[in-house]
Amino acid sequence: MAKIKKTTKAVSAIPTASMSDIAFLLLLFFMVSTVFVKERGLRVTMPQAKEIVKIPRKHAATIYVDRHGTISIDDMVVSIPDVQWVMQKKLADDHNVISSFRTDKETNYGIMSDILNQLKEANALRVYFEAKLKR
Amino acid sequence: MKIARKRKSLGGIPTASMSDVAFLLLVFFLSTTKFDIKKGLGLVLPPASTMADKKVKLKDENITKVWINKDGLVAVNQEEIPLNQLEATIRNLVKNNPDMVISLKTDRKSKYHHMVSVLDKLQASGAEKISLSTN
Repeated sequence: MAKIKKTTKAVSAIPTASMSDIAFLLLLFFMVSTVFVKERGLRVTMPQAKEIVKIPRKHAATIYVDRHGTISIDDMVVSIPDVQWVMQKKLADDHNVISSFRTDKETNYGIMSDILNQLKEANALRVYFEAKLKR
Repeated sequence: MKIARKRKSLGGIPTASMSDVAFLLLVFFLSTTKFDIKKGLGLVLPPASTMADKKVKLKDENITKVWINKDGLVAVNQEEIPLNQLEATIRNLVKNNPDMVISLKTDRKSKYHHMVSVLDKLQASGAEKISLSTN
């Protein structure tokens, strides 16, 4: 009588041993590749508003104005008459530039008015007044 | 007397739960990471008109003047109104005359948050033509 070979059943299972390696690899990759844009700016308490919309970050130039009237554009402290040429330079780099104001809520409006006039002169006409959502 | 044979214990770090730890960390950072999204009130400034012929003359009936004094009190067309009635008042004005331009005049000594809260109300009321100025 011929000998019949017993067929061994193949075990079907997904190997999970290297799962942790993959997870750690992903974790490390994102930890290493994440770059945070750090803007020092000025210390401001922003006002609150309801009708706020998202500001396109790509074109935004942040203008900080603190309660004492110090103006900082992209971490560069400037005086009111200098705002015009700084913004003109930014406009030359990106003609869709948006001026995004981070102004302290206790700042006198006169300073803001002067800055807005400078922006008009520089032809940087799109502005956003940053605010926190009022609940 | 029977002496029990000591079994040599296998020294090894259990790696079975390693993936759980890694995924837990991954999920933790995914859920706690908060991106700084800029939000605010948008406005397009009118271009600086240096030449007299560029100036646009508006009819008086198409202009509504909104004043903010240094104490943050609001007046519409010389009439003082509380802030919570401003939205409804402006909405009516814009509804009756879609060409209505809202001229927001803020005192130089007024605080910035007064102007932001009024601008917020103006945008909520559906007014599209808003101009900023100071006295």
